[in-house]
Amino acid sequence: MPEHTNNGMQCNEFDALLTDALDGVLNGTELERFQAHAGSCKACGPLLVEVEAGRNWLKGLTEVEPPANLVANILASTTGVDTHRLRVTARVPQPRVSWLEHVQATISGYLEPIWATVRQPRFAMSFGMAFFALSVGLTVAGVKPADLRQISLRPTAIRHTYYATQARVVHYYENVRVVYELQAAVRRIKRNAEPAEPGRKQNRPGKQINERNDTTQQPEQKQERNYSQTENHLVLASAHVGPCLKSCDLPVVSVTTYRRLV
Amino acid sequence: MEDVQVVAMLVRRCIAGDSAAWEEIVQTYNRRIYNICYRFAGSGDDAEDLTQEVFIKMYRTLSSYDPSKGAFVTWVTTITRNLLVDHFRKTKQDRMTDSIDSTASEHEDAQPLSEHIQDQSAPPDTHVRHREVSETVHAALAKLSPELREAVILRDLQDMDYREIATVLKVPEGTVKSRINRGRAELGRLLQRTYRQVM
Repeated sequence: MPEHTNNGMQCNEFDALLTDALDGVLNGTELERFQAHAGSCKACGPLLVEVEAGRNWLKGLTEVEPPANLVANILASTTGVDTHRLRVTARVPQPRVSWLEHVQATISGYLEPIWATVRQPRFAMSFGMAFFALSVGLTVAGVKPADLRQISLRPTAIRHTYYATQARVVHYYENVRVVYELQAAVRRIKRNAEPAEPGRKQNRPGKQINERNDTTQQPEQKQERNYSQTENHLVLASAHVGPCLKSCDLPVVSVTTYRRLV
Repeated sequence: MEDVQVVAMLVRRCIAGDSAAWEEIVQTYNRRIYNICYRFAGSGDDAEDLTQEVFIKMYRTLSSYDPSKGAFVTWVTTITRNLLVDHFRKTKQDRMTDSIDSTASEHEDAQPLSEHIQDQSAPPDTHVRHREVSETVHAALAKLSPELREAVILRDLQDMDYREIATVLKVPEGTVKSRINRGRAELGRLLQRTYRQVM
C-alpha cells in the first residue's frame, strides 16, 4: 500500500484504524481524520468501500442448522453410548405405509436388478430365442395353450393326475425291463451257440501283456520252450498222428534231450 | 458469553465421568462448532465429520483445559481451528485467493461466482432469493485463503473479539485486524464483480 499522507493521516494508519472505524469505536478528531483520508486517498477510499461491503455480506449469512443426529453421533463416538432418547428426537417421522405398498416395495426391490439385467439387449435377444425355441418345441410336441385351460386344478384331480402319471412311469419301466431281459437271454444263447476257441481266447490277454512288456524283441515262446523244460522231459519226435501214419507203419523213435547244465 | 464457574463445573463433572455433563457440553457447543467447520470446509458432510472429530479430541483432552488461561469457548475454538488447519493440509484444498494486492485478471480464470446464481432477473420470493445470496457468499468465502477465511469467520460469523481471535490464531491482534480487513475486502471485491457480471 502506498504511504500517502492526506489530512495528516498515513495509509498504514488508516489501515490500522479500519476495523475500529467499522466497529464504531472511533470518535472525535480521529474519526474526522479517518473520514477525510478515506475521501481524499485514491487507494484507501475504495478499500473502505470493499471492506464495508464484505463485512455486510458476511453479516447477512445466517447460521446453518446442524444435522439432526449430530449430537447422538458425537455422544456415540465419544462415550460409546448410543443414546436412544436423542435418536428418537432426531428421527424424522416417517409417513405411514400400508402393508400392500410394503410388499410391493419388497418385491420390486428383488425384481428390479433382474429386470435391469433382462432389459439389456443381449439378454433380451437370448430370452427371445429361448422363448421361440420353447414355443416351437411345444407346438411340435402337440401342446396347445388351449389344452392348458382344460386342466383341472382341484386337489382330487391333481391327485388323480399324479397317480396316473406314476402308473404310466412304472408301466414303462416294466416294459423296458422285459425288453432288456429278452435281449440278455438272446445274447446268452448266441454266446453258447458259438464254437469255443479257448486257446486263442485265453492266450490273448497274456499275449497282449507280453507284447506290451516286451522291450527286447526276443521270441518269448521259444525261450520258454528251451528253458522251462525239466531235465527228464521226454520229447517225442514223431510224425503227425493221422490215418496216413497208421497205414504206413513208420517206426516211432524216442529222443531224449537234456537241458544244458550251466 | 459463558459463565466461567458453570463451565468449569461442567468440565470437572465430565472429567469425573458424568455423562450428563458431557452431553450438556455437546448440546451447547455443537451448533457453533458445526458452523465454523461448515463455513471453513465448505461442505456439510465434511463439517459433520470435522465436528465429530473436534468433540472426540475435546473429550480426550478435557483434563488439559485450564480455566485460568482463558474461556472455554476460546479453548474449544482453538481445537476446532487446529483441526480445520490439519484437514486443510490433508485435503490440499488449493482454492486460495491471493492477497488484496493481486490483480483482477488472476481471478478471472477462477470459476465465476455468477454460476451459483440461478437467475437474478426473475423476481423469486424472498426466501429463495436469500438462500441464493447465502450460497453465493458461502462460495465466495471458500475462495479466500485459509488465513483470511478463518479470521473473518471468527470475527464476522462467530462475533469473537480480536483478543480471543489472536489467542486462537496465535498471532498478534494487529495481524488479526489486518487479516480481517483483507478478507472482507477480498470478499467484497469478489461479490461486487460477481453481481456486476450478473446484472
